[in-house]
Amino acid sequence: MAAVIKTVNLTKRYGTLVALSNLNLEINEGDCFGFIGPNGAGKTTTIKILATLLQPTWGEARVCDYVVGYQSRSIRPLIGYVPDYFGAYEDMVVQEYLEFFAAAYNINGAQRTKIVNDVLELTDLGFKRDAAVDGLSRGMKQRLSIARVLVHDPKVLLLDEPAGNLDPRARIEMRELLKELRRMGKTILISSHILPELADLCNTVGIIEQGELLYSGPVADIVRRARAGTVVHVGVLRAPEQAAALLAQHPDVESAAPNNGYIEVALKTGVRDYSFIPSQLVAAGFQINLLREEEVNLETAFMRLTKGMVQ
Amino acid sequence: MLGIADYLWRLVPGNPILLRVVENAGKKRRDAIIRCGYLGLLVIVVLYTLVTGSDNTGDLAALSRTSTVLFQQMSYLQLGLVALLSPIFTAGAITQERDSQTYDILLSTPLTNGQIVMGSLLSREFFVIALLVSGIPIFAVTQIFGGVAIESIVYSFLIAASTAMVTGAMAMAIATFKVGTRRTIFSFYLFIVVYLVGGYLLDRADFFHLTWIDAAGNKVRTFTSWFTALNPFLALPVIFKDKAHLPPNLADLPQGYQTWPLGWYWTSPASFYVCFMLLLSLAMMVPSVLFLRRLAQSTTSIKGWLLQNLRLSKGDRTRKPRPVWHNPIAWREARTKASAARSTFLRYGFIVLGIIGAVVLLAMHSTELTPALFINHSYDPTKNTLYIEGSHQPEIPVAPGVEVKIGDAPATLDNLYGRYEVANFTQDANQAIATIDLKEYPRKLDPDQARSWLLGLTIVEFSVILLIISNAAASTVTREKEDGTLDLLLSTPITSRYYIWGKLRGLVAFVLPLLAVPVASSLIFIVHDVARWLAARDDNFQWIVFPEAMLMMPAMLIIVCAFAAILGMQMSLRCRTTVRAVMSSVGIVVGACAALGWCGYSVLQSSTAPELAAAIGAFSPFTLLTLLIDPYQFAGNGFNINAGTSYDPPGVRIVAFVVCAVAIAAYAMGIFSMYKSMVKNFDMTIRRQSR
Repeated sequence: MAAVIKTVNLTKRYGTLVALSNLNLEINEGDCFGFIGPNGAGKTTTIKILATLLQPTWGEARVCDYVVGYQSRSIRPLIGYVPDYFGAYEDMVVQEYLEFFAAAYNINGAQRTKIVNDVLELTDLGFKRDAAVDGLSRGMKQRLSIARVLVHDPKVLLLDEPAGNLDPRARIEMRELLKELRRMGKTILISSHILPELADLCNTVGIIEQGELLYSGPVADIVRRARAGTVVHVGVLRAPEQAAALLAQHPDVESAAPNNGYIEVALKTGVRDYSFIPSQLVAAGFQINLLREEEVNLETAFMRLTKGMVQ
Repeated sequence: MLGIADYLWRLVPGNPILLRVVENAGKKRRDAIIRCGYLGLLVIVVLYTLVTGSDNTGDLAALSRTSTVLFQQMSYLQLGLVALLSPIFTAGAITQERDSQTYDILLSTPLTNGQIVMGSLLSREFFVIALLVSGIPIFAVTQIFGGVAIESIVYSFLIAASTAMVTGAMAMAIATFKVGTRRTIFSFYLFIVVYLVGGYLLDRADFFHLTWIDAAGNKVRTFTSWFTALNPFLALPVIFKDKAHLPPNLADLPQGYQTWPLGWYWTSPASFYVCFMLLLSLAMMVPSVLFLRRLAQSTTSIKGWLLQNLRLSKGDRTRKPRPVWHNPIAWREARTKASAARSTFLRYGFIVLGIIGAVVLLAMHSTELTPALFINHSYDPTKNTLYIEGSHQPEIPVAPGVEVKIGDAPATLDNLYGRYEVANFTQDANQAIATIDLKEYPRKLDPDQARSWLLGLTIVEFSVILLIISNAAASTVTREKEDGTLDLLLSTPITSRYYIWGKLRGLVAFVLPLLAVPVASSLIFIVHDVARWLAARDDNFQWIVFPEAMLMMPAMLIIVCAFAAILGMQMSLRCRTTVRAVMSSVGIVVGACAALGWCGYSVLQSSTAPELAAAIGAFSPFTLLTLLIDPYQFAGNGFNINAGTSYDPPGVRIVAFVVCAVAIAAYAMGIFSMYKSMVKNFDMTIRRQSR
């Protein structure tokens, strides 16, 4: 499948601050790519470069085979950019806002009216067409942002934290809208801090920290990779420190330490069988009240792969 | 008692909001530069006056006279700077509601309403007050030479301080009562400028001065007007004991004006100004103190509440969408800015007031007064007699070599066919008319007055339009940078060429209805003049506005507005913040117009070559307006009726017309080159500012 977005050694510096360092990224057509990273990791910078708003200091970024900086004019009609803020114009109502951006994409006349009506219907904003944009709720504004980038039917959507600060209902509605867009064949690059939703929405993810890409690939792969060492949570009624020390001596155990009222037992790579834990503890006179293998999901994978360092 | 003292201590000296500003005041480099600049200006004024003083004889009396002049100049400078800086420093209060991150936190603390209001006001005024205090040592120089009473110095400072205080209180009241937005800042500046300049200009009209007949039967007119005690620039000369601004004595005033407070108002305008402005500040602050938290809790603004109760708005912020143009950037500039409720009100208000003003001027100009002596087509050539109404004589014979004059210009016998006031006539031994001095038939507003008022009106209107377009242009890109909408636009296929052209087109379209006002005002007079000219067919016909103004005025005003727009956009592109862009842009436009106007007026009034004067004058919009509307007063040499030329020498008018076309082409070239440069550097400039 052809790479719609590709970056090669993409580097961006703001003075002495390195926001991006040799970022190599490939997103295929139809992919929904979740971009994950702590605040200040370089996600917004990457998205802004792809949206042709910033020039890379070094390296190359391509969108639909067009090079950012050299062929930006060809890129712009192909992308839809939603920043992490709304960007409301004062004194405009919803329909005018959409028509304004449709005109910016040179969509005029009856075609413009039809497209705006279709987009309003797709995003369930038809009943708000006469409402002032700066008076909309945050959820409605985010929905309108998505509607805005759909008026010119772009191939690629660059969404910078579109669900940030939304209430649960608005978030779920936004997720369903994005799923619908994915079904329509759009290539989506979305950055977000809400990892369970990204896991549900995206087929591939990239984890970035301090401007460096730590991982990029399918969600299932990252979970598998994070699962490399099985972790078991064990609860005992008394003396968890002694129980942890006992388990730590077992040859299959990498580490064992009390954590939040239970013992976190990390097994050595490749070890899957942890039936020795209850037998050893019972034999030593400990009473067990919890034995559970840690569930590995995108959130835990992210925590394991990143160090929590910010710039 | 201690509780009151504690409250008062916390209100001002121990106010944490004020203390924070005072503690950090010395650390700001910008403030230090402005303070040094201000003191430097005062020092320059002192040195300049001392060196170039007319009384450099060295004796004490001469030094005291120089000291008086010095004091006057420094006082004007001080007041001018306070009037300029105070709105700049206090206007920020207007948007505190919007930038309420810290404001809300303040409201949630145990600070009282009084502490918050006083703290906000004084912290914004602190810089201006510190500036005033820093100038005291320089003012003290005047005391070395004498000639200036301490009382005058105190009043000078009090007038400046009360001006600063009322400005700040007004900004705070606007902020507290939620009637302001970011755009209000500009309206706030504009209001202050119009108030100061308008009051100063209106003071010159006799209408606003008191006139009465004294005991000796003489008509007495006061030097001060109704505006003196309300305008700092009029109240200031009163403390200089300037003869042109001497207030009347209480005993001299008519009976009805001797009672308090009118007696105080007229006899001591400076003290009235200070007290009134301080009271007004207090009056504006008390409601702010009383209702600060209650208003902060309310979800609707006073404007919204009023609109809803007047059934002008449903309060749900919906309306029918308007069609968007093919160029959305131009549409946004021209339509959305103009259609906001406040803008619509101001635009229509401006248009209606401007047109009403012109119609009133025309009505007053058309209304004839009956003179004591006049002729009304009453010359009978067959009998060679003239009937002068009011002379109580029958038809008077006209001597063969009769000397006829209209005003100071010689006229012919043909003029006796017309309709004129007879200023004077003499009769020879045969009782025939030997000389006759005619004047234009008197009107409520004579032609000179009509021209002066019309010129004043159009200049004020055009100045306001220039300020509006400079402000709109200067804020157009910075505001998009601030609210993030520029990024949205730059990620679309819109090119820099399309964007800048759209902005320019939209901005000019935005002010076109406003520009129609001065043009229509002149057109009304031209139509009236054409009708009169057709009726009179008089060679010496005096136009109120030259008819060619219909071509020259709109073209020049539009191109100058476009020039101001592109200049403002340039500033808007370069500056990071809206306030800085607006201040730079308005400063450049005002400076350029002042310089061009000054050069133009100097040349018009002093040049012995009228064609050259007209050529130079036609380059500046303000001098061109003068050439078209009131050349007789300002462009004396070119239109000098005493020099034996006709009233409106065609040569000078042709030169003005041609040079005006050249000037328009020059402005257009300037606009085009700036446009090209902006298009070329747009990406680079925006990218440099990206963070």
